[in-house]
Amino acid sequence: MQMKKFINDPHHLLPELLEGLALAFPRQVRLVGTNIVARAVPKAAGKVRLVTLGGSGHEPGLSGFVGEGMLDYSVTGEIFAAPGAPRCIEAIQMAAKDSPGVLLVVLNHAGDVLSANITMQAAKKNNIPVQMVLTRDGISYGQNSDSANDRRGLVGCMAVYKVAGAVAEQGDSLDECLRIAQKMEENTRSLAVALRTATHPSTGHTIFELGDDEMEIGMGQHGEAGTGRMKMKSADETAGIMLDMLLENLGVAAGENLLVVLNGSGATTLMELWIVFRAVSKILKARNINLVRSAVGEFITTQEQAGFQIMIARMDTELVRLWDAPSNAPYFVTR
Amino acid sequence: MTEEIGKFELTQMFAAAARKIREQHEYLSQLDSVAGDGDHGSTMLRVVQCMEEASHSDSTENLGSLLRDLGWSVMGVDGGASSALLGTFFSGMGDAAADKKSIDCRELARAFEGGLRAIAKVSRAKPGDKTMMDALDPAVSAFRTMASLDKNVMQAMEEAATAAQAGADSTKNLVARFGRAKFVGEKTLGSPDPGAVSIALLFRGFHEGLLQERRT
Repeated sequence: MQMKKFINDPHHLLPELLEGLALAFPRQVRLVGTNIVARAVPKAAGKVRLVTLGGSGHEPGLSGFVGEGMLDYSVTGEIFAAPGAPRCIEAIQMAAKDSPGVLLVVLNHAGDVLSANITMQAAKKNNIPVQMVLTRDGISYGQNSDSANDRRGLVGCMAVYKVAGAVAEQGDSLDECLRIAQKMEENTRSLAVALRTATHPSTGHTIFELGDDEMEIGMGQHGEAGTGRMKMKSADETAGIMLDMLLENLGVAAGENLLVVLNGSGATTLMELWIVFRAVSKILKARNINLVRSAVGEFITTQEQAGFQIMIARMDTELVRLWDAPSNAPYFVTR
Repeated sequence: MTEEIGKFELTQMFAAAARKIREQHEYLSQLDSVAGDGDHGSTMLRVVQCMEEASHSDSTENLGSLLRDLGWSVMGVDGGASSALLGTFFSGMGDAAADKKSIDCRELARAFEGGLRAIAKVSRAKPGDKTMMDALDPAVSAFRTMASLDKNVMQAMEEAATAAQAGADSTKNLVARFGRAKFVGEKTLGSPDPGAVSIALLFRGFHEGLLQERRT
């Protein structure tokens, strides 16, 4: 079957999509080295820099969060594939120039972690001060307790970029940036649901199969199967099932303050996202949990997969202040 | 009889390994489509191209730095976990290999073990997880055993290739427990891991390359 996507050459997706991003946001980002997205105006000397790495095909993630107040560099891999360590090291070296240190933010996926570990070894050998934080927010269906390493990286990385980016912008130390990033990471959980598969833009194959009347909770970022396959449910029912698991996994008690990010997977309408968000908000209210901050939109997608991720994060005044700090990143502007 | 491996032998080994991969790249991609993106074959094509370029006539005669350079160029293939692991393996081999123009069977065994150690430092994948480690680990063990029995490189490589093949075959009966494939779990049963199959092809190629070198 002919793949229906507006592309040119399935083997030139990465350079073309990056070129488009840089042309669309010339005041925020530019391309450097080999497929590395950097800020158009580098951060002032003497401040910690943030670097992330990851495969493409999840636009606007991850490169859409490069900008003042968030990331300094995004090392992009091919579609759904981690970038190799040499380019990550290239970015770390650029980032380390005139900087007291670099914070490497890595989503917990095998390939990304592998490249990140090799990069960290090389940085250590070259005496470049780098600290790494792994984002492990994605819980599995039906598991109330899990070990952090079992959790995959979903949209939670965005919250880490935001708060750690804000601390770095203040001119705080690498240790302080790491502390904030870890605090955010430890207090964040996400859960994904899908109801329609997507097409891999290089191969033209569907990335998973799902019956017409089914949905699946616990999906990974690349359409990896979850364990919660069930008949389609309404927005309210779906939000209820997912939020129950998230609140239990994070151990949220009445009276606590939460940030909720509702992330569309690529083919879910804003209409649906608002209807789901309404349900999330009502459930939290009924449980006396305070919804202190929220974001609804498409942040990290999986092509034209239909579905969404709910991310919850326990917030204190420090994290809320950093979440509110200014950012001009193309896909997360705050003033 | 092949007693020592120098750049000439390495070139022959890499060329034969590249032929093996080129013959099978479509099959490798097909295997990868069970649990992955279906791009393993094309990743491996780029990996073997690096192997051929690394042993090109202009490159260094120093095996340690040749293998280290190869490792970095393989990591730069950007093919996700498989190129990262193979690149790490070669660069670990380079670190463990003496900076010499030729190495004997025991030294090559130590280099292979150095490659495995380098992987263990960056990846938690273990034999039994249905990854390339299921072929690589037994191949290196077999090679080491033969080296410790004072066998020559040819005999050791033949055993390593056989062990790699058996390891790759054994992944048919395993359920993926590592990487992205683990999330499709049972679906991977009955089909071998593409990374392990690639390792078996590489070692088979290494052996054939040595045989060929002997004939000429």
